[in-house]
Amino acid sequence: MSDSYVIIGDGIAGASAAETLREEAPDAEITVLTDEGESLYNRILIKEYAKGKLPEAPISIHQESWYDDHDVDLRLNTVVVDIDVENDAVHTHEGETFEYDSLLLAIGGTPQQLPVDNADADGIHHFWTFQDARRIKESVEDAERAVIVGAGLLGIDFAAICGAQDVEAKYLMRGDCWWRYALSEEGAEIMHDAMRERGVEPVFDSGVDHFEVDDDGHVTAAIDPNGERHECDFAGVAIGLNFNTELVEDTPLETEDGIVVDEFMRTNLDNVFAAGDITTFNDLVLGERAKNGSWGSAKEQGTIAARNMVEYGSEAFEWVSSYSITHFDFPFLSFGHPTLGDDSVEATTAEGEWRRVALKDGRVVGGVLIGDLSPQSAFKQLMREGRDVSDQTEVLMEPGFSVDDLAATTEQQ
Amino acid sequence: MPLRQTNRRMRLRRTGIVPSDARVRHYDELEEETQVAVRELAGRPRTAPETDDLDDGDVVKFTDYYQVRAR
Repeated sequence: MSDSYVIIGDGIAGASAAETLREEAPDAEITVLTDEGESLYNRILIKEYAKGKLPEAPISIHQESWYDDHDVDLRLNTVVVDIDVENDAVHTHEGETFEYDSLLLAIGGTPQQLPVDNADADGIHHFWTFQDARRIKESVEDAERAVIVGAGLLGIDFAAICGAQDVEAKYLMRGDCWWRYALSEEGAEIMHDAMRERGVEPVFDSGVDHFEVDDDGHVTAAIDPNGERHECDFAGVAIGLNFNTELVEDTPLETEDGIVVDEFMRTNLDNVFAAGDITTFNDLVLGERAKNGSWGSAKEQGTIAARNMVEYGSEAFEWVSSYSITHFDFPFLSFGHPTLGDDSVEATTAEGEWRRVALKDGRVVGGVLIGDLSPQSAFKQLMREGRDVSDQTEVLMEPGFSVDDLAATTEQQ
Repeated sequence: MPLRQTNRRMRLRRTGIVPSDARVRHYDELEEETQVAVRELAGRPRTAPETDDLDDGDVVKFTDYYQVRAR
């Protein structure tokens, strides 16, 4: 009898797992359940669609025929309501039961809503799915003034969308700069200038106390905690994700800001695995549990999970992720875990070029590059090697830095 | 190994219109060596060896949209 694999989620983690399972286990039964109404699409590019820069078609990755061609049973619009780990089965909202030998949870997260009055008013958007992108595009095209909340990697997509659609926007930030956990004011100012050039004005030490709405329930303004009123007919909120762990609340699965897995993507149950945003994984590079929401990480986790579902212990997840922002005429890239570590070093290396490297116990654990991405590979290599650079951090800030520079410095000492 | 075993070289040309039938790749989807090539070629009249994860006609989203030409 062939093995039976059930995957919940058809994002890049679930889809890459399905593809790998088919390669590794040609005779297996593979079922993919997703609550979305469309099969795998490119989540990195949906912001480009919302900006009006891309048509819909190139964003689709897997047509439904892909699943037929690979003998994968895809069930769209299917909500899993219960996971019965004692009987190795999942139950859906329509009363169907899918039994499994091995289960993969690639169930991701859901955008958080602001805990303020009128946070669910018409015209207030969160950004996660292609359907969100369609609604955002339609709404922002009719908008004149916008408010953006959430000074991080997802919030800046809203800023770029407003800029591209010629909508004046106020970007309300709680601190004194954008992504203050990873950037200093000096680095962030490059991003602020780019926002301003596109008609998006950063407002610091701000936020939202509540939204005002009209008689039809459509947002008309955001009132910040200082009492300032920011008129808007569109609001974009990107303050983080709630990971979809409610599905496993009544199971013995260990959770900690997500579903805990080992380096083989296995949970504390032998035949249940997880991959993608939902995981809190044993990060072999960092040396502790970590989370990662990047596309590349999710794709790799799906692949690794699948291999270990077929043969546990066959391959560990050891990955240095990166995430770029390509909205502006200069590139931005974060890598590894730029908000972690016990030390950091930063520098402006040329006009419009800035970098910061986060260190833990003298080793590179992440960083941010603005303007010049050329050291990206070198910093990732240092992370993989776990090399102690504590006595030569200034070399990391040299323009044109390569690992060879570091070796030369070491030899000189 | 993302570098192809061919003699073809690729260049990137900025493009204002993305055809509906084009395969569009974001910088973050690309192999690390391809990312290096994209950074080197974007907006510059240079060529580099063709890579495994880009094909002639593909469009790459980096700081702009660039169409791949491989010859």
